[in-house]
Amino acid sequence: MPDARRSRRRPVLKRMALVLIGLALVAFAGAQRTLTVAQTVDIPGFDPHNHGLTAVEAVITNVFDYLLFRDANGDIQPALATGYEQVDDLTWRFTLRDGVVWHDGEPFTATDVKFSLERVARDSSLFEHDSFQQIAEVEIVNDHEILIHTTGPDPVLLNRVSRKGADIVPKHVIDAVGWEGFSVNPVGTGPFRFVEWVRDDRVVLEAFPGHWRGAPTWDRLVFRAVPEDATRVGELLTGNVDIAVNFPTQDVERTRGAGAADVVSQPTTRIMMLLFNTADGKATSDPRVREAVELAIDKELLVEVVAGGFGVPVAARVSPGVDMAPMKYYDRNDYNPERAQELLAEAGYGPGDLTIALQGPSGRYPGDADTLAVVQVMLKEVGVNSTLESLEWSAYNSRIWGADNVENIALIGLANSLFDGWFALRSLPCDGAYAKRTNWCNPEFDKLLTEAEFNLDLDERARQIEAAFDIVAVERPMIALFQIDALVGVSNQITWQPRPDEMIWAFDIQPK
Amino acid sequence: MVPILLGVVTIIFVLLRLSGDPVRLYLPEDATHQQIAQVRSSLGLDRPIYVQYGIYIARLVKGDLGESIRYRNQDVAAIVMERLPATLELAGASLLVAILISLPLGTLAALNRNRLPDLLSSAVAMLGRAMPNFWVGIMLILFFGIRLEWFPVSGRNGIGSLVLPALTLGASMAALLMRLVRSGMLEVMSQDYVRTAKAKGLPWRTVVVKHGLRNALISYVTVLGLEVAGLMAGAVITEQVFAWPGIGRLAIQAISSLDMSIVQAVVILASVVVMVANLVVDLMYALIDPRVRYA
Repeated sequence: MPDARRSRRRPVLKRMALVLIGLALVAFAGAQRTLTVAQTVDIPGFDPHNHGLTAVEAVITNVFDYLLFRDANGDIQPALATGYEQVDDLTWRFTLRDGVVWHDGEPFTATDVKFSLERVARDSSLFEHDSFQQIAEVEIVNDHEILIHTTGPDPVLLNRVSRKGADIVPKHVIDAVGWEGFSVNPVGTGPFRFVEWVRDDRVVLEAFPGHWRGAPTWDRLVFRAVPEDATRVGELLTGNVDIAVNFPTQDVERTRGAGAADVVSQPTTRIMMLLFNTADGKATSDPRVREAVELAIDKELLVEVVAGGFGVPVAARVSPGVDMAPMKYYDRNDYNPERAQELLAEAGYGPGDLTIALQGPSGRYPGDADTLAVVQVMLKEVGVNSTLESLEWSAYNSRIWGADNVENIALIGLANSLFDGWFALRSLPCDGAYAKRTNWCNPEFDKLLTEAEFNLDLDERARQIEAAFDIVAVERPMIALFQIDALVGVSNQITWQPRPDEMIWAFDIQPK
Repeated sequence: MVPILLGVVTIIFVLLRLSGDPVRLYLPEDATHQQIAQVRSSLGLDRPIYVQYGIYIARLVKGDLGESIRYRNQDVAAIVMERLPATLELAGASLLVAILISLPLGTLAALNRNRLPDLLSSAVAMLGRAMPNFWVGIMLILFFGIRLEWFPVSGRNGIGSLVLPALTLGASMAALLMRLVRSGMLEVMSQDYVRTAKAKGLPWRTVVVKHGLRNALISYVTVLGLEVAGLMAGAVITEQVFAWPGIGRLAIQAISSLDMSIVQAVVILASVVVMVANLVVDLMYALIDPRVRYA
């Protein structure tokens, strides 16, 4: 009897086992590899020519392609264009990749390139227009070849067509649905296609098998908007997200100790700077005072105190990966309080005689308010009194920075989205964007910068840019404090080193 | 209702335009003057304020809420309305939490005046009122989200994700309401008709619920109605902490970036919600207190 029972039970057990194995196989086959990223902000839509934010481009760069793109090392690589050559001072020829299809299956052609680049170059209401107005026309030679005509010689055209705003969009889709439709339901040629966007919650993308680089490792890519630092850290620690950007410095040790994730740092192009108002009558009009301020600041200690050591002291707006930026100013701390005191004495200020105003934003950059507070203490050490005004960004921008209302010294953080040394100085000429803030004007500097803007002789251009940097370093309308590192929380389930351009390019990220 | 709305819209329109230049907030720190002027002109912000106001009101009458600076080429009304369900869901759940905590605890405290349950609930109420929303939210995340992993840390993904934000928002409201129930019950329970009810030999539960609680609820409902307006304000912080995609988060983002048409739309919506809440409170009076119905 027991045998009979066993024999009856066996097929049942066998069947159950088979069903379980079958279910496991189905589950395995259906298991999607999903990469989830927590950012601080959501995208405002999928119009790539009209957002102006690095954090937004970090998402949509996975949906669209540029003609060329920067790899993780910052080197320019072919993308929708397979080759390029300079035809003359004002013309560049690009050969377009064959066999590329849009996510809707339509073929990608030269018409799309002309439509995209001419839109951003001509529509002055677009946030990205300023970086593309140098493009005069895109001429179609044939379906897979174009000529880009520039308004003047443009030594950084390749940088332009490989940065945010240069995304190529499908003309046929926008003709059909308009930008209103396209902004919420985009079609690109990138490795991921659009699935869903719940505003201020999540963007969901899925792998596009027909992508020209081949299918990406991840089946799904989810970008979540989690503005609160503590919440973002919590999501990483519980394994709900794989990557948490803008990681708070104070949570680094705790996160590493928890064992589920690591925090990695990546130098960015953003430099914290102090701008001086050099107008007559201001205390900071005397170059000796400006030099004394720079020498009074121990930039290494500043990085340690306000950025937890995640940054590099610099003596100019330079960082690795920025073309033609003179790197002699990188990783430099000219701290010399004795000399600072001598300079102040030469300028006629004894200890406590000079009071200057420090103004800056609070909450705009990591540790911005703390930076000014530490600078205040360091200035006090050399006998300079200061008043401190840290304002929330919109108030600071409206009342001080944007209103050209800098009393003496204003704090600002500047990134270099063009990855070009000229770009780092372009606001300082006599009629530049900062003219009314610095009230500084040097015709020799202006001449060098204008020549460098249009110089196609790259060696000579590098010398011009360096000479312009040298003038700024001596006359100090602005001084640089330190380069900010981006801190990113990365789950132990993946392998990823963040990029200098802060793009979250899913091809770089691998599951462990 | 229309004059009130027009007044609110006008005040917020003027205040927003006095509070700074939104274009600079959207462009990089080193944007050129030319670029700033171009974008400002494309948004119509270079016109005199009365012209902007005239255009805005003319469009508003036709149901067009203007153009968002952040969400270019997208319908502002749709952007605001699509957030409403998330906020209503959170507000509803928080109200429920507040009522479920405040009614029994408040009654318990009143019936045990100056004894342990009363002292304990008073202490809890004081704590609940004193702790700021964002702190409570983060503590709940740390304990129930990260340590115990009982509930999702953030986001809006199923009923589980509603628990922590609703507790956060409901807790401080519960504290206030509990004190109201307690004082209301204390007052009512010393009235003659309650003594009569007790003397008639009615069951204790009937005396408390029918004669006591029901009469104590009038001030409770008034404050509950006012708190609905407070919920909109509380939601701003709670939604930010829990990455809850509701009206509050939209408002925070729009205010900090001076996205005027979105702020105006949110204010219009919030005004309507408050007005409707007041209307509902008035109707509830009649339901609870028949004297109001006959007056």
